This record gives sequence, structure tokens and C-alpha cells, in this order.
Amino acid sequence: MSQSTQQTDADEPGPIDLSESATREWIAGATFSLPYILIAGTFLFGPLLLALYMSLHDWNALNPAQSQFIGIENYQILLSDPDFWNALWNTIYFVVLTVPPIIIGSLLLALGVNRDVKGKWLLRTIFFSPYVLTVAVVGLLWTEIFSASGLVPYYVGGGNWLTSYDLSMPAIAVATIWWQLAFNFIILLAARQNVPDRLYEAAKLDGASTWRMMRDVTIPQMRNPLVFVVIVTFVNSFQVFGQPFIMTDGGPSFSTTTIVLYLYDTAFTGRQFGYAAAVGYVLFMILIAISATNYYFLAGDDQ
Amino acid sequence: MSIESRTLENVSSNRLRTIALYAGLYGTAALFLVPYWYMFATSFMTRDLVYSEVPHLIPWDLTLYWYEYLLTSSLIVQWTVNTVLLAGITTVVVILIDAMIAYSLTRLDWPGRRAIFAVIVASFMVPGIINLVPVYIIVSELGLVNSIWGVVLPSAANPLGVFMLVQFFKDIPEELEEAARLDGFSRLRIFTHIVLPLMRSALAALGLFIFIWTWNAFVWPLLILQSETMYTLPIGLVTLQDNMGVTEPGVIMTSAVIASVPLLLVFLLMQKHLVRAVEMQGTTK
Repeated sequence: MSQSTQQTDADEPGPIDLSESATREWIAGATFSLPYILIAGTFLFGPLLLALYMSLHDWNALNPAQSQFIGIENYQILLSDPDFWNALWNTIYFVVLTVPPIIIGSLLLALGVNRDVKGKWLLRTIFFSPYVLTVAVVGLLWTEIFSASGLVPYYVGGGNWLTSYDLSMPAIAVATIWWQLAFNFIILLAARQNVPDRLYEAAKLDGASTWRMMRDVTIPQMRNPLVFVVIVTFVNSFQVFGQPFIMTDGGPSFSTTTIVLYLYDTAFTGRQFGYAAAVGYVLFMILIAISATNYYFLAGDDQ
Repeated sequence: MSIESRTLENVSSNRLRTIALYAGLYGTAALFLVPYWYMFATSFMTRDLVYSEVPHLIPWDLTLYWYEYLLTSSLIVQWTVNTVLLAGITTVVVILIDAMIAYSLTRLDWPGRRAIFAVIVASFMVPGIINLVPVYIIVSELGLVNSIWGVVLPSAANPLGVFMLVQFFKDIPEELEEAARLDGFSRLRIFTHIVLPLMRSALAALGLFIFIWTWNAFVWPLLILQSETMYTLPIGLVTLQDNMGVTEPGVIMTSAVIASVPLLLVFLLMQKHLVRAVEMQGTTK
């Protein structure tokens, strides 16, 4: 591309020589990129560095200049902080409750809708629709469903799930699964539609069973989108905030306080900005580790 | 076993399978619809039905009381206006700056563009929540707390948008641009008069996605928009529940209807574009 552009410019008659047009190209390129670079620098990369800096200080929220450098003390405190560990375990519990159902559920629904069923459009619309809801609507709606006089206690039992120590997290998980299935469903449906039909025809001629076709054709062919979906679902579930914030506010007795909720509370209720920044960085490291592990095990072996 | 009976068996097992497939899909679909139904039905129920001991799914005693109540005694209309404004402004800003950098990264030849693209792709992996504290501090230093720009700017540089648009810019035939250059068009003019119009459908998909995303945004508006008149719908809804002390299911469900119906309608009308925007993300890997 670059060559042909330069060639055109070079062929041009007149005083514009190659170096001048290259300079102009440079200026144009930088100018077009500038707004994004400025904004990303101020609100994305800058803060990433600032967070690291803050996490190494006993941050003074009212007078940042008086913040004291304390090295890795915030991180040391964090590792022996039972509230942090509680939040981490709650988050892991939430991840375990939500990730497998979201992935398996969306895969099954995508494979099902891809079959020759009547009302495909209707089914796709229904399964995809929660995607356009805000977490506020999802949280409030399911709060009513799980409340003492709501649908679930009436038809399933368990009383008010959200005030129960054991049932509050599962309730949040159910709401999340209903809400988050949609994104994966659409991606996996598209992925399944991209698998060439001839592969199935060939497998059929070989007398392969449905199960074998699934294992030997469908899953390997959908591998990249599946890896993508697994990583995204893990990362999203680890960052859960709105649902417990709205439905339980972390309760009862901190049974639904997740890491991000804990971060939010320490920062904006406790005003411990340095400590909260450290929590953020630890979460960041956890997410990188999880994504790398997922990638290694799911996509790593023969690619 | 004769061949005939075996085929018969096959047919009946096929039929069973089909029945199971339909039951599974439509059963799940019905379960998916229950929360919607509950939300709509409750919003039209009279106080007696809403407060009865057992939940009701059929609003056999209809009223518009909750809607009247919300429209007259809460700021929900104001919140809706705020939400539309915020989502609209953010969409325009994101599309503009993402399209500009995507254009310069794919169609202009200048040193450093590869490195910049690599950094943008990497920043894709940074979860926004990590930056909650430092961005809040920067926004407050800039005096943007309680301002709509305090919400717009932090989400204006969207790596996902750049990534999607770069894929599309690559497909525009170069001849078009070259012809325009020979005709003496400036880069800005080529961008606004040739490239952007060609990208209409990709921009529509991205725009719809950003619009819905911003409409639904929660954490950021919650932190930045602190006065009641500035709230967006998601924030207003949640404070509505807190402010009343006791939960008023009628008010809550009705406000949920008001907050979600506009997007559900947009979704029904423009589902194709939204599906496309989501699919583009799945194919980025």
C-alpha cells in the first residue's frame, strides 16, 4: 500500500517531491491519530501508571502531595486482609457458578437454533434480547423475582433468597446467567454458521454419530470463537459489580462482596485510594493469569 | 431385525430427537421471557395485586397508577433526556475519533503506526475497572465531576471500535482514494467525502453498539454524575429504590419498563446491525 501511494505521488508532475509528500503523509497520519492518542493517554494509559504509583503510597485523598511512599506495604496489608480474601473467594464462587452455565448454555442454544427449527428468528431474538438491558434493570427485576413475595420463593421455595447467606450468591448468579448468555450465544451462533456443510456431509458418509460429529467437527472448527468466549466470560465474571451492588449491596454478612465491590467500597466509602489501587492491580494480575491460562490450555497445544 | 423395522426405529428416534430439540429450545425461550412478563405485568397491576402475599403473573386488575406516579413525582423524564444525550454524544465522539485513527492507521503511511496499533490492541485486554480510582482522580482534577464530559471522555477512546473499523478500512479499494488525490482532494476531504460514506454500515453497527453500551453504563455515571438532575436512567432507577426506603415493587418494575423499552424497541428494529457488531468482536481473534 505504502509503495503504490508513493509511486503515485512521485509520478505526479510539479514541484511536489517524494520527501515533501512523505512529510505531509506523516503530518496527516499523526493529526488523524492525535485525538485518540490524547484521550487514551489521559484516561487509559496515564491512569494505569498513576494507579501503580498510588498503590505504592499511603495516598492522602485530600492532599495528594502529602502522600507517603510506603513501597509494597499496601500489597502486604492486602495479602493478610481477611476482607480481601473473603471478597476473592466470593468472586471465585461467583465465577464457578456462572462461567460453566453461560458457556455450555450458550453453546447448546446456539447449536440448537442453528438446526432446522421453525421460528429461528423468534428464538434468536428472545435469547439475544437481555443483551440490551442495563445492569440496573436486570438487578432490580431479579431482586423482585427473588424477594419474599416474588416468583422464585413461591414456586421454588427458599424464602427471600437475597437475604439468605447461602442463597444470595446463587440468586445473583441466576440473574447474571440470564443476562450474559446473549453475547456468547450470538458469537457462537455465527461461528457455527461458518463451519462448512461439506465437513458434516463427509462425516455422515463415514457413518459418524451425532456425538462424534460434535466432537470431531463442530468443536474443533469453532475453536477460536470458543476460546474467545471462554476468556471474555471469565474476565467479565471476575469483574462483577453491578448485580451484587444493586441486589444485595454485598450482604448478607458480606457473603456477596466481590472484589470490585470491595475495591469500590474501600475507595469511595473508605477513601483509601492507595489501598484500592493496589486491589485493582492485584485483580489485573489475576485476570492476566487467568486469560493466559485459558489461552494456553484451550488454544495452545497445536497452534 | 429387518431393514424395515430398523428404518422405522430410525424415523421414530429422529422424531423423538426433534421433539426434544423443540421442547428444549422453546422451553428455555419461555423461561427467558418470564422476567419480562413479570416486569410488564407488575407495572400495570393495582396496589392490591402488587402487595399480595403470593406473586401474580396475570394483571387482572389494570391500572396506570405507577406510570402516573413516576412521571409526576420523580425525575424520570429528566433522566431519560440525560441518558439520550449522554449516549448520543458519546456515540458521535467515539465514532469520530475511532474512525479518524483507524483511517490513519490503515490508509496513511507514517512511521509509528504499527507500534500504535499494537498498543491499542494490547489495551483491549485492560479491564476498565482497574482504572476506577486513578481515572476518578484525573476526572476530578479536570473539574469534570458532575459533568456529562466526565462520563463521555473516559470512554471516548475505545480500542474495540478502532479494531473493528481497521478491519473495514482495509477493504476499501485504494483506487478510489488515489483518484481523489489526483483530483486534488485533501486527506480531510477524502476522509469526510469518500471514506466515511463508504463505511456507513460498519459505522452504523459500531454506533448502535456504543449507543446501547453507553445507555446502559453503570459504574462510571454512578461515580461521576452526583446530583439527581444529572442522573441517567440506570442510576436514577437504583436511587429510586434506595430513596423510598421500603421497596415499592410497582414503582421499581414500572421504572424498569421505562428504562428498557426504548432499547428493546431499537433492538427489535435494528437487530441485524447489533448482531453484526457482536459478531465482529467474535471474529477479532
